[in-house]
Amino acid sequence: MTDYVDAGEAIPHAQLSAVKGSAPATGNVDYDRIRNARSEPANWLTYYGTYDGQRYSDLNQINKDTVKRLSPAWVFQAGAVGMQSGASTYSFEASPLVVEGVMYVSGPDGRAWAIDAKTGQELWRYKHASPYDVSLCCGNVNRGLAVGHGKVYMYTLNAHLIALDATTGEKVWDVTNGDVRAGESGSVAPLIVKDMVICGSAGGEFGVRGHIDAFDAQTGERRWRRYTVPKPGEPGSETWGDDSQEAWQRGGANCWVTPTYDPDLELLFQGTGNPAPDFDGDVRPGDNLYTDSVVAIDVNTGEIRWHYQFTPHDLWDYDSTMENIVFERDGRKYVSHADKNGYFFTLDATNGELVKVFPFVDRITWGEITPDGKVTPKVYPDEEGVPVHFWPGPAGGKEWTHMAYSRNTGLMYIPVQEVGATATRRRREFKESIPYWGAGVAVDIEDFYGYVAAVDPLTGEEKWRWRNEYPMCASTLCTAGGLVFQGTPTGEFVALDEETGEKLWSFQCGSGHHSSPSTYEIDGRQYIAVPTGWGGWIEGFLPGLLGAAAGDALFVFALPEV
Amino acid sequence: MTTTSGDRAAELTDAGLDGQNKIALGRLLGTGTVGYAEEGSDGVMRATIRIPEDELRYDPGIIVFPHGGEIELTLINDDKNTHCAVIPSNGDPKFIWLVNHSKGTAKISLDGPGTYYYSSNSGNDEGRGLTGALVMGGEVPDHAKQDRPPQPRP
Repeated sequence: MTDYVDAGEAIPHAQLSAVKGSAPATGNVDYDRIRNARSEPANWLTYYGTYDGQRYSDLNQINKDTVKRLSPAWVFQAGAVGMQSGASTYSFEASPLVVEGVMYVSGPDGRAWAIDAKTGQELWRYKHASPYDVSLCCGNVNRGLAVGHGKVYMYTLNAHLIALDATTGEKVWDVTNGDVRAGESGSVAPLIVKDMVICGSAGGEFGVRGHIDAFDAQTGERRWRRYTVPKPGEPGSETWGDDSQEAWQRGGANCWVTPTYDPDLELLFQGTGNPAPDFDGDVRPGDNLYTDSVVAIDVNTGEIRWHYQFTPHDLWDYDSTMENIVFERDGRKYVSHADKNGYFFTLDATNGELVKVFPFVDRITWGEITPDGKVTPKVYPDEEGVPVHFWPGPAGGKEWTHMAYSRNTGLMYIPVQEVGATATRRRREFKESIPYWGAGVAVDIEDFYGYVAAVDPLTGEEKWRWRNEYPMCASTLCTAGGLVFQGTPTGEFVALDEETGEKLWSFQCGSGHHSSPSTYEIDGRQYIAVPTGWGGWIEGFLPGLLGAAAGDALFVFALPEV
Repeated sequence: MTTTSGDRAAELTDAGLDGQNKIALGRLLGTGTVGYAEEGSDGVMRATIRIPEDELRYDPGIIVFPHGGEIELTLINDDKNTHCAVIPSNGDPKFIWLVNHSKGTAKISLDGPGTYYYSSNSGNDEGRGLTGALVMGGEVPDHAKQDRPPQPRP
């Protein structure tokens, strides 16, 4: 036999592609710049566009008059190679960031890209190898990146916070921040505040103890960690009343959605996830702080300044991780939150005092919350083996996907899901990395609908709704053009009149939306970017479309060039 | 329905699941042998993978590593057809083209614990059997663990 042919050394896969390998250096994105992001609407500098979470842009080239001419400018296809975790549950859920013509966006399975935001050319790519067997409650997803200090930050499926060089995509540092053997994972878009990167944990369905962490943006050194379930002796621990004093250890309350932030108060407004086990409350008597809450966290120390719990002693999987939008009216600062439990809350941002609570969905049977905030559970799985049906289902009247606040109208535009579910309590022992729900759950597959609701956050008045055959499972985006953008589960990307709800434009993207669109401007031309691709926890929020086509394309729209 | 029990390799052979064009068209994934990487004094973990003639499989099909880290694989194609390997690695997967009777290396970096699959992305090599597993053992560092007492595991 002859000697072997020398096959050489394996090369990076991207070397066999048209990827350029570097992105232009942009101006430095630091804390002051992100804090003043509203002053530069050409860019989308941070997850929500601005710290307040409003998802509102001052760009108005695309407006009620021009939107009918909106057309695709380019499309980016994520694609996949080989076997990946959650092979049937991947979804393109990110919110694209844009800095001076460079788009930074993450996709499923540990991927991040820098893309020429004008042409769609792939500038660099990074792929974090994700274990095939990592525990993922809700699919192979990532909700976005943070950009600043010359770096791009991503939280990986296996709970590594990594920093990449913004111009090359090369890894600068990598910190392991979660225990994958215990069922922890990562999907949140990190948030840069001051010289820190803020990052929350995921894994509540596996009985982990939730936390949010702050890291030095330059070195990756952890500055603080705040557990969102107190251990014995800490404030709030009295709300975990089991005799064995074990429930807190597996209590959930994960921070798997990016917090909003107020620079004046120096508070992060972090929503927290459900308690574990999700549906079996007998093993964790008490209110179970700080699950299903907003916790206002001092960004400098990680201390909790105040909290408000939306669903004490949750028995329906009503996470409250979704955004808490900060806005001002008549000199008073508020945070507003549309909860999975079907109620909309407006609180005083300085102290968490309840200002207004009202239902924003049609069907609520799990219980009732009175105008003064008193919570009365009515229907819940409390008897072993007995099915109980309730609305909203465990994906909630609104899932993690975000509402937007129009600074034109003062209204919140809420993507609403009208889907119920049946849960049957089935107690089980806790074992690390094994799902810890405490019930069998079947979400309704025939009776559902959805709408975008335009709601006054201080009065509760619904000004209009745009009804859809299917629930709304994607984030809304408001612009100074008087438009509300919304993606549907069946692939349409629509523009609504912010004052009337009239549909002014739509485009069929070929796969459902479960992401957060953003907008930016280059050389005087406004663009709207929206990742598409139906996936994630479909069995939870819309199993009636479990058979719909998957996808992982990023669409970017603009008005035709003249 | 009848079931079998006992020696797994023998069962797979008896059922015709461990080769090409027996009961099925290709070889059932995950039916290969198990190998163990060796960790050098430099901290790099090393293993050798072969593609046997006409078997459309990597051998060993499963390689166990004591923990995540830096890895150097030697890949040898003893087959009379051309294959390749796309191997997960932090940053970007590594690609190596393996013509008939060739030998090469791949330097990769993987986190532990967890399992990673690699494959030959040519034709349907992946479906016929050329899909292998790299299994990282170990625990995450203490600073990444939760502040709670040890918990039961399955």
